[in-house]
Amino acid sequence: MKRKTKSILFGLFVGLFAIGSLVLVSCSGSSQLVTEKTGAQLWGENCVRCHNAPSPPSFNDYQWETIALHMRVRASLTEEEVAKIVEFLKMAN
Amino acid sequence: MKHFNKLSMMVAVLIVGFLLPLYGQDTATLQQEVDALKPRLSRFLLRGYAHSGFEKFEEGSSFVGGSFNPIFLWQQSDRLLFEGELEVELEDGKTRLGLEYANMSFIISKRAIVRVGQFLIPFGIFAERLHPRWINRLPSNPLGFSHGEQVGPSSALGVELRGGAPVGSGKINYSVYVINGPTLNDGSVEAEEVGQLHYDNYEDNNDNKAIGGRLGILPFSSSALELGVSAQVANVGDRGSVYENTGAQLFAVDLAFVKNIAPLKSIVDIKAQYNLTRVNRETYTVGTETFRFKNESNAYFVQGVIKPAFVSNTFLQKLELAGRYSALQMAPDAPWGAEKTQWAVSVNYWLDWRTVIKFSYQYTDSPVSEHLEAEGGSGGGGAEEEGGTPLGGAFLVHWSFGF
Repeated sequence: MKRKTKSILFGLFVGLFAIGSLVLVSCSGSSQLVTEKTGAQLWGENCVRCHNAPSPPSFNDYQWETIALHMRVRASLTEEEVAKIVEFLKMAN
Repeated sequence: MKHFNKLSMMVAVLIVGFLLPLYGQDTATLQQEVDALKPRLSRFLLRGYAHSGFEKFEEGSSFVGGSFNPIFLWQQSDRLLFEGELEVELEDGKTRLGLEYANMSFIISKRAIVRVGQFLIPFGIFAERLHPRWINRLPSNPLGFSHGEQVGPSSALGVELRGGAPVGSGKINYSVYVINGPTLNDGSVEAEEVGQLHYDNYEDNNDNKAIGGRLGILPFSSSALELGVSAQVANVGDRGSVYENTGAQLFAVDLAFVKNIAPLKSIVDIKAQYNLTRVNRETYTVGTETFRFKNESNAYFVQGVIKPAFVSNTFLQKLELAGRYSALQMAPDAPWGAEKTQWAVSVNYWLDWRTVIKFSYQYTDSPVSEHLEAEGGSGGGGAEEEGGTPLGGAFLVHWSFGF
């Protein structure tokens, strides 16, 4: 398959997928602002973007603080998200 | 009896009077010991991942891996973090130690972090986020995303500004960086790779620095969808050579969608990335031969994973089905030109959230027949051996875990 055709197909896939997910997420009624979410919600939504959501007892409270800072850098999580996720993990630990 | 009661009370008072100070002393000692264990301003954490497995290619089979990647995290304060990753693996009968990255990050403000050192390049999402063995849902990397046949950078030395911010009901993340950048093989060494870009430029070959960045947009508050665009530009020829001003332009688009689909009682995870590298057209002379070709390469993958995490059956909860299609096209008219496609499927079983056993089958094809023998590989050497992914079918069983 020609490179140009492949590029167009890939672009088409991304475009159609973006529209499809827009419809899917809109139907699920999830319009809550990120800033209004709880730590548990943010933990469930953000960790799974790359890997399974970690179990809170896997690390102690101090270790979670270091891991959260690492994820703030690596995954570009916002300061507000990191603070809430750490609070949740400590509470659930 | 009364006399006996008085005596008992006196003994009790004496015991309590004697033990109470001891108890207070023990509590104080215990408190001191606990306080001594509390981390202060310096916190060290050892994390990482490891993998091992068995691979059966058409040319042979072998146990592979036995490698592990320790990640050192050193938190100096709430704003300062060092991260370093080593890769320890067996290669050609020897133990090889490699440095994946080593860098320092400083939180400048709520929305800005500066990072200096060797870091994973946010060129798309695979190299920076998905490549660790326990995160990658398949035992192999997509075509074009391994060292032997790389299209686009994975790590580099330089400085980066990055961060994330909420915007409306969604959020964005960004990265801009200046790095040494890729180097151009002019044919003086490894003549068969003339015109190819190399990304392990740890001592810059010229005074021009590569400038690049990535913008990620997460339009929904659930962070379910992320769309990213990346670009990098640089001059890539050696200092003082005729190729010093030869430019290279690199582009990538990526997509990630992860969501719990209630009717399916499953988490659906879809990832895709397209990389394109372009080097200005040049004439290369190697011995008595001259080469001039369109120096453009691309690679992409589309990957889907379904994990029935919310069904009632506990065995099924831990299962996962993954599929991936990837394709690679490296400058077709170059001596190192290659074209491959690959299908890969995997059934994964999660022992816990960070330990997985992957049972995978992949089939790699090349529409260019002359590449079949040249790139057949030794088989059993691993899916990401130097020289690229072997053609044909392969069974791979890998055990990976993060720690």
